[in-house]
Amino acid sequence: MKKILIYIFLSLAAITFLYPFYWMIVASLAPESEIGGLWFLPTKLTFASYIQMLSKIPIGRSLLNSIFVASLTTLGVIIFSSMVGYALALMKFKGRNVIFYIIIFTMTLPFQITLIPNYITMVKLNLVDTYAALVLPFLLNAFAILLFRQAFLGMPKALIDAARVDGCSDFRILFQVLFPNIIPTIVIVGILTFMGSWNEVLWPLIVIRDESLMTMPQMVTLFSVGGRAESQLGVKLASAVLLALPIMIAYAFFQKYFIQSMASSGLKE
Amino acid sequence: MAEVRLVNIGKTFEEGMQVVKNLNLTIQDKEFVVLVGPSGCGKTTILRMIAGLEDITTGELYIDQKKVNELDPSKRQIAMVFQNYALYPHMTAYQNMAFGLKIKKVPKAQIHEQVMRAAEILNIQDILQKKPGKMSGGQRQRIAIGRAIVRRPKVFLFDEPLSNLDAKLRGQMRIELAKLHKKLDATVVYVTHDQVEAMTLGDRVVVLNEGEIAQNASPMELYSNPGSKFVAEFIGSPKMNFIEGKILLLDGQLVFRNNELQFDLSSLNYQNLKNHIGQEVELGIRSEDIYPTASNLKNYVKVKGQIIAIELLGNEKLIYAELEESSLIAKVKAQHEAQIRSSIDFYLDLEKAYFFSKENGQRI
Repeated sequence: MKKILIYIFLSLAAITFLYPFYWMIVASLAPESEIGGLWFLPTKLTFASYIQMLSKIPIGRSLLNSIFVASLTTLGVIIFSSMVGYALALMKFKGRNVIFYIIIFTMTLPFQITLIPNYITMVKLNLVDTYAALVLPFLLNAFAILLFRQAFLGMPKALIDAARVDGCSDFRILFQVLFPNIIPTIVIVGILTFMGSWNEVLWPLIVIRDESLMTMPQMVTLFSVGGRAESQLGVKLASAVLLALPIMIAYAFFQKYFIQSMASSGLKE
Repeated sequence: MAEVRLVNIGKTFEEGMQVVKNLNLTIQDKEFVVLVGPSGCGKTTILRMIAGLEDITTGELYIDQKKVNELDPSKRQIAMVFQNYALYPHMTAYQNMAFGLKIKKVPKAQIHEQVMRAAEILNIQDILQKKPGKMSGGQRQRIAIGRAIVRRPKVFLFDEPLSNLDAKLRGQMRIELAKLHKKLDATVVYVTHDQVEAMTLGDRVVVLNEGEIAQNASPMELYSNPGSKFVAEFIGSPKMNFIEGKILLLDGQLVFRNNELQFDLSSLNYQNLKNHIGQEVELGIRSEDIYPTASNLKNYVKVKGQIIAIELLGNEKLIYAELEESSLIAKVKAQHEAQIRSSIDFYLDLEKAYFFSKENGQRI
């Protein structure tokens, strides 16, 4: 009996999370006139809102821009943050801890504080209205560095010694010996970075004015708030669904890697 | 031809801790040398310095007559087997063994040939496609050794390679390692804290204590002729027994005396004891030189004790006994009747006794 109550409670909790999402998808597929009173299913499903959206804004181009920018940023973060994490975890040099603490400290600074200095840097480097402006400032990230550092600290020291005896350089140790054994960390960093980059609105709004370089969230925001949707709710919802879709697909794809663990790796410290 | 020579080698860690002090050691070509000692004696640090995984603070290291202090591990022509095997978890056994050669850009056909030959020597052909996670401890151990063999090194370095195995497998691998050494005909430096491993494997055993060589000798020499109390205590199982006392000259006779026993030393061939009259010493005697009867013993002393524990080993048993001020472990035939908490007479074979200075632990 107690179990049933728990299930009911948890189901209700799950529904409160899922229902708005469900509603968004269904509403985007409903005829415009029904959206106001819709709560479960419309009388018929239609792609009218989507078709209208496509005709009003260059959503396809912005989708490609977003995928390109988010992928490049993710790749960069994985490569560069892991390199920093490797150095902080496994190389001996003076001031290693000081550097680490400074990096951790930057995590406490909100993005808004660095917004202006970053913008000025982009202007000075003549990078405004380029892809570089969207990617470059995000290539290193303190949280990713921290995650990589901890993952490397958790690896058996002898594994790295063995690689050295085998003649590996630091790069080879990092990418060929350690990387295959920290896949869960890479996936987590990858998903978080991809999502962060994908959802970024404020920064693109500041550095990108050329419509052909705009990312999707930027485009959708301008579209919804900027009046080009002509206050048609269906069209706004359609663009919101399209915005959420790639993240969902990416998550579903990578989720299976979460299961991979070190449990059966044969390492013993 | 690969001799390993350590000249005045010292290691001080950044925190200022000196773990190896001015060590001089030459390991001959094709010799199997075991570095043994309690934890913290610096044995693994020495091995890691030979491997190039640890910087050498002072002194010079020569491998094959060449100074290698600054050389990368991979260029020293050494191979190392680690305590926890340190196999690459994401690679199969074959890939683990081939990895080093692949980095060296050895042609594929030659890699294959070398891996297969090592696999044949170790009898691991059937697990080459397995990953370490799917192997038993013994199999991982073999792959780790295989990875070393494949490199065709001049010197093999083993860092406590058997300590993660269960007792039965350890015994088996010990024999295999000894055989392997004969087969490979290579120089081996082997680190262990297990004196049985040291005694059974080494051509020569270097006993280390606090970063210094306590004794460097053949296993038999170490056992029968330990240079200090530390070595005497460390080598041999069960541990050597020690009884404290004083060397005295009474009525022109040299005697050993403490509160419970006194015996004449003049009939024994211990010339040096004369130089230690009046000094505190420790008498050392191994368990197998303590008998429950005096039969066949020429020079002996009788002590009385109370049995506190008995361990049956099969054909022998260990009797733990307490004397008035010290305790003894005697190894006797299993048939010998003994009861816990009963009193027992022991006869110590004085011809097999050792004397150590109480002051510095050195053999007298």
